[in-house]
Amino acid sequence: MAQKSWMYAVLEAVQHEMQQDPAMTWIFELTPPVASNPGKPVINLETEFGRKRVVNTGIDENWMASAVLGAGLSGSKSATYIPYQGALIPFEVIQNVAGKLRLMTGGKASMPVVWVIEMTGQTPGFAGQHSCYEEDSYYMHIPGVRTVIPSTPYDAKGLMHAALRSPDPVVYLYPAGLRTLTEEVPDEPYEVPLNKAAVRMEGSDLTIVSSGGGMPGVLEAAETLKADGMGVEVIDLRTLKEMDTDTLVNSVGKTKRLLTVDQSYYTLCPGAEVIARVVENVDGVKVKRVAFPDAPPPASPEMFLWMRPDAQNVVEAARGLV
Amino acid sequence: MKDIDRNLVRMSEEAPSSDSRRNFLKLAAFTGAAVSVARRPAFAVQKEMTFFAKDLSDEKLIDMYRTILKIRWHERTQADEMLTNTEYRGYNHFYAGQEAVATGVCAALRNDGPFEQIDLVYSSHRPSGHAIAKGVDIPTMVAEMDFRATGMNGGYGAEMHISDPSVGFIGADGMIGPAPVIASGSAFAMRARGSDQVAVVFAGDGNYAAPHFHSTLNNARLLDLPLIYVCENNLYHQYAHYRLSCPHDDIASAAAAYGIPAVTVDGQDVVQVYNAAKDAVDRARAGEGPTFIEAKTYRYYNHWGAPGAEAGKLGAFGYDPLAITSFRPERELRAWMQRDPVDISRAILVDWGVLEEQAALDMEDEIKAEIREAFDWALAQPLCKPEDGLKHVFAEGAVAARQFG
Repeated sequence: MAQKSWMYAVLEAVQHEMQQDPAMTWIFELTPPVASNPGKPVINLETEFGRKRVVNTGIDENWMASAVLGAGLSGSKSATYIPYQGALIPFEVIQNVAGKLRLMTGGKASMPVVWVIEMTGQTPGFAGQHSCYEEDSYYMHIPGVRTVIPSTPYDAKGLMHAALRSPDPVVYLYPAGLRTLTEEVPDEPYEVPLNKAAVRMEGSDLTIVSSGGGMPGVLEAAETLKADGMGVEVIDLRTLKEMDTDTLVNSVGKTKRLLTVDQSYYTLCPGAEVIARVVENVDGVKVKRVAFPDAPPPASPEMFLWMRPDAQNVVEAARGLV
Repeated sequence: MKDIDRNLVRMSEEAPSSDSRRNFLKLAAFTGAAVSVARRPAFAVQKEMTFFAKDLSDEKLIDMYRTILKIRWHERTQADEMLTNTEYRGYNHFYAGQEAVATGVCAALRNDGPFEQIDLVYSSHRPSGHAIAKGVDIPTMVAEMDFRATGMNGGYGAEMHISDPSVGFIGADGMIGPAPVIASGSAFAMRARGSDQVAVVFAGDGNYAAPHFHSTLNNARLLDLPLIYVCENNLYHQYAHYRLSCPHDDIASAAAAYGIPAVTVDGQDVVQVYNAAKDAVDRARAGEGPTFIEAKTYRYYNHWGAPGAEAGKLGAFGYDPLAITSFRPERELRAWMQRDPVDISRAILVDWGVLEEQAALDMEDEIKAEIREAFDWALAQPLCKPEDGLKHVFAEGAVAARQFG
């Protein structure tokens, strides 16, 4: 147990799985699989496992995404780290091949494959093509591919173990804005299930649902609301596909009020699906959706920071509901 | 420097007649692959072609030198702002060291006139040099880089996304991959509508590995598109040496495999770059299809921003945390800086009797002051209005705010 950063926690899981399974491979471009952490040994997958198993490709996300699928189909567990900007280039092979292959083969295809896909969008000044926070909506739409989005180093490690051990292909979204988070993370391997949301705070007046990069702002807002005397229940989706409907329905069944918060675009943001599932199952619910407007993020920090949902937006929207 | 001067003299003495050059080019086009696959093919080709630049007016040659200086001082001034001005928010993927490539290529293009007639340039995510060489307004570009409302793109785009179609600068591309394919689409349309325009794409060595590279060249060749692919091989994509993702010493070898005339030029020498570009433009305008130019060059700063650099000094020799485990050898950077595009272009002008040495040096002081003024103007420009972020999603109107629930 030690305080660990997000990337250290993730690479610890990958390192363990690669030590256990000599057939497992890792493909990266530009970003070496290296992480350091105070008081812990440096993890460098490339030097530890060699360049046959850990490959630094050219800038070719299409190859990376397809190659891990092919590796998986040949019987080797395989994962790749696709940086932002390139995150949707592999979409076709994930959506149209990986997502359909198990069903198409009558269940015969096995795909122990993980695509770690960066999401950026929280940083003012980059924006444009350097913001890809909306990709949660794209990937969670695909049947046959599990899509997870951890928001803490602990979940990041546990979901990575679960993803690498799953026979299903997993899109593992990495909200890069959370790279500076640290928390106590066990040294031993453990799994966080691929179909369970987490209740981060319990309360009976209002349910707030968010995920990934939206979580720090939501937790900050929840503390403010709690101090005001509001009973806030905070749910971190963690897994977008499959979405944990039971946890959502149980919570809103109690609070009757639902606020969803997303950093991705309003239209078809994960919250839209959350709201649909809840109102299908709970009568008399008041709902509200906070999301990034349906506009590409502009570069100007003045524009961007106004558009990006923050803790204050969440507080005000919550007060409007309760 | 002395060696370069001698080479230039020798090359000019050996410049062949127009006829032999034409014959050589025909042969080159016919047997493109064979010519280009040979070791260092460009230098053989280049010797034949020096007189393109030698035919230029003094005014044009001086203009090229001034463009190189503008790019250089834009980069240096911005790097210094990043290093010393805590209020400054802009950033760049600096182009310093590569100035002769953008300058030599754009000098061979049509940059003035109606949009339907000028040549179009697609840039990479290292765009300021291409933008300046194509003729964008520098003060508004500087304002854009610092997210100002009066910037070239209203503060919406900033560094990796700047664009000014009015001078044919279609824009930067923050992605590695798509720009060349899109540029080939512009070339396709130019050919389809019977225009003599050409489309140029600047892309780095990192683009080689992307499937887009191969799709671009294949289709450009199959359709004989007026496309000039300028591969700026500065040896590194981000922090990875190009040989990690490309099996060829010369990326031009790969282009030759697609049947495209391909040359490798010294990207530090604006005359070499111009000559190759002029030849490519002439061929494209004549309906003879695409050309691939690989310019061997080097960037003086690290991949992004100014880590490792010191205010007032050219180049970044210090630690760059973003490099993680991949650092460029300092000796490599120092060696490349010995062959500086500013020095080389100045030496050429002096050698050719276009400018006196002192006049050339004075010109640098003038440009430096001009760029400083551009920054002073830009950094006093108004910031953007937050709610304007909802505009420009579609041609008309604005989208709804959704962040308030």
